[in-house]
Amino acid sequence: MSNQTAEQIAEKIRNAEASGALIAPVKDDFFEATVDAAYEVQQINTEFHLGEGRIVSGRKIGLTSPAVQKQLGVDQPDFGVLWKDTEYQDGEEIPFSRLHQPKIECEIALILGRSIDHPHPGISEVMRAVDYIVPALEIVGSRIADWKISIVDTVADNASSGMYVLGGTPNKLEGLDLRLCGMVMERDGEPVSTGCGAACMGHPLHAAVWLAQTMVAREMPLQAGDVVLTGALGPMVNVEPGDVFSASIHGLGSVRAIFSKE
Amino acid sequence: MNTAATDLNAHAETVDEAARTAMAIEQFDEGAFDVETAYQIQSLSIQRRVARGEVRSGIKMGFTSRAKMQQMGVHDLIWGRLTDAMMIAEGAEVDGQRFIHPRVEPEIAFVLGDDLCGEVSIPEAMACVECVAPALEIIDSRYQNFKFSLADVVADNASSSGYVIGPWVAPEEPIDNLGIVMNINGRPRQCGSTAAILGSPYRSLVHAARLAEIAGEPLQAGWVVLAGAATAAEHLQPGDRIDAEFQNLGSVAFSYK
Repeated sequence: MSNQTAEQIAEKIRNAEASGALIAPVKDDFFEATVDAAYEVQQINTEFHLGEGRIVSGRKIGLTSPAVQKQLGVDQPDFGVLWKDTEYQDGEEIPFSRLHQPKIECEIALILGRSIDHPHPGISEVMRAVDYIVPALEIVGSRIADWKISIVDTVADNASSGMYVLGGTPNKLEGLDLRLCGMVMERDGEPVSTGCGAACMGHPLHAAVWLAQTMVAREMPLQAGDVVLTGALGPMVNVEPGDVFSASIHGLGSVRAIFSKE
Repeated sequence: MNTAATDLNAHAETVDEAARTAMAIEQFDEGAFDVETAYQIQSLSIQRRVARGEVRSGIKMGFTSRAKMQQMGVHDLIWGRLTDAMMIAEGAEVDGQRFIHPRVEPEIAFVLGDDLCGEVSIPEAMACVECVAPALEIIDSRYQNFKFSLADVVADNASSSGYVIGPWVAPEEPIDNLGIVMNINGRPRQCGSTAAILGSPYRSLVHAARLAEIAGEPLQAGWVVLAGAATAAEHLQPGDRIDAEFQNLGSVAFSYK
């Protein structure tokens, strides 16, 4: 039945998230299976969670690699909301029970020192707004069973967002080579994902420019203090209970994610 | 396995002629020879090259990523022998007639300042390195459709067919997690890190020293060691210009016509 409203789809995703009972792709039930309508679903849930007192900590950018875009048949990234209560410290144990089919990827996180409300932000506005940069691990998740997602499903499901961990050593942008910086993520000392800055839309700041422009167009400009997860620097990896990952980005430092055993 | 010497020579001639004439061959029969024997075939095929006037210039390491080992169902690296005829000048135009179905991948290259052989530690291996360079390797399996067993690929000199070396630098900075972008005609096609090479290219050098001892062919001062691929390989098409940019090391390029 493809006649459900954005409100109905939003509620279904919300319930799946709360109960952990994964659902079938929502695209087929949705009366209007477009990317715009999917963002409407996302926004309904964002407002619902705000109403419950949750605090927005920034945004994540997804679908930043050409391979993943091709897989989903899109030529653009997407974004989701980051919640303060999904932020973990470097090395702090993350309860596995909070996660939904988790996968992990290493990214560059920007912490903004000022809002980006320029009407047409470009890379110069983004560079001026970045206060500091840290390596980050994003633990993505999907409320859609078996990750059988289309672009509509993932956007509606808050860009398949989960938890995130920020590294503890801040870097200033000056002098950093964010394009050619090497990335390695290890599980138990074994490299499981490698890549570099250019894997994220050619340069992580390009992804940030796209986000800044998108948020201005939606009249929700990025704010001072926002965390921006710019997108994966290498392939994502499945997470199992008890796993320990550490990632380092050459020139930026390292970050760890430790998962509870149950 | 007892494979008659005449068979070994015949197999060596088969792979060598395939490489020399750029004509694809069928895989050998399954179980025709084991991996150890395959290295003997490889050695004999290189002796044929040397008899034609080629000079040994080093070795290359293969299957240096966990993903590649899993894909091939193996637990050890493989290696092949490099000769001067495989070396392609940086920035050169390479004649495609030399190859069957070539692919290119970015690597780290070492030049040894001292001989190196046997069980060594990473610091000992590092001490033997005179310099480091960004490199591109052209691999070209002599088997039809690039399909082979482990023994097949070892006999075929680990698909070695060409290598291009960028600017040599003294290894002062760490090289174990340097970002790499490989572009074809200026467009990024592969992004990776030197960490894909066993977590550090120096580990590959340690293995090279170990395998050299088993083969009874110590690595020699002045030799090039290609440490293994840092990303997946890309197919080469006539007219392509390939360049790879390495964090802190510079870049390396060639054209394929």
